Amino acid sequence: MFGDLRRFDTDWAPGTDWFRRFFDEMWPDPGAADIRSVPRGSFPMINVGRTDDAVRVYVFAPGLTPEALDISLQDNVLTVGGQRSETAAEDEASAQRSHFRRERQQGAFSRSLALPEGLDVERAEARFHNGVCEVVLPKREELKPRRIEIKAS
Amino acid sequence: MNEVAKQDAPREVIEGRERRREAMLPAVDIFEEDNALHLIADMPGVQRDTLSIEVNDNVLSLEGELALGMPEGLTSLYAEVRAQRFSRRFTLSHEIEVEGIQANIDNGVLRLVLPKKETHRRRRIEIKTA
Repeated sequence: MFGDLRRFDTDWAPGTDWFRRFFDEMWPDPGAADIRSVPRGSFPMINVGRTDDAVRVYVFAPGLTPEALDISLQDNVLTVGGQRSETAAEDEASAQRSHFRRERQQGAFSRSLALPEGLDVERAEARFHNGVCEVVLPKREELKPRRIEIKAS
Repeated sequence: MNEVAKQDAPREVIEGRERRREAMLPAVDIFEEDNALHLIADMPGVQRDTLSIEVNDNVLSLEGELALGMPEGLTSLYAEVRAQRFSRRFTLSHEIEVEGIQANIDNGVLRLVLPKKETHRRRRIEIKTA
């Protein structure tokens, strides 16, 4: 679904500098930076989608419980914060382990993102499922798309 | 005619590469404890039935499909997760007991326990008094 954004990735124009092309293929560019873009590996990853009647925010927060995730809204800015860490006992055990890889983000995190205007914050709902938190923010009634009827003349 | 064929070939290669790029690499922690290797992978949105774990020729592959249950007609405004699946492979060393691998996924976190073979476990050597 979110792969749709790929449609903006246009193909190479003919006659492009082969040297640049070669290097771009070796180290793929993450794309022209969006003003909202964040460094790779930011935690948690966030997707935002829109339907006719709501804006849906997907927060990819694996290993977090609904209690550990804090979602707040103020002035159309959604803030997702929380803590992902092992318990104290596990922490101690972890210190003695010999780690081969440690890629998973640990500790406290917080991210904010601006939402489109015209959302009914009062009716916002959040659900947690398989490590993904889905926040549904319904649009205000007056902003929903309206069908205009065409009358026969 | 020949030229057309020549132009088509690299395009296919690029498309193949594109498709491979569409899978995300899950972040993993790997550590050793209790005579076993532990692998923890972050795969948000993956459920038990959309996950497949395989060991083939000493290569462990983890594949998980994101099942978000998104409504019809959703258009994306902003996306960091742009792929539908997670995929990662690891080469196992010969000391892993493949039959004894255990896996469970909870809340989007996959935990694998890869026990070592009996012959490769740490052994304590007793010192006898002379």
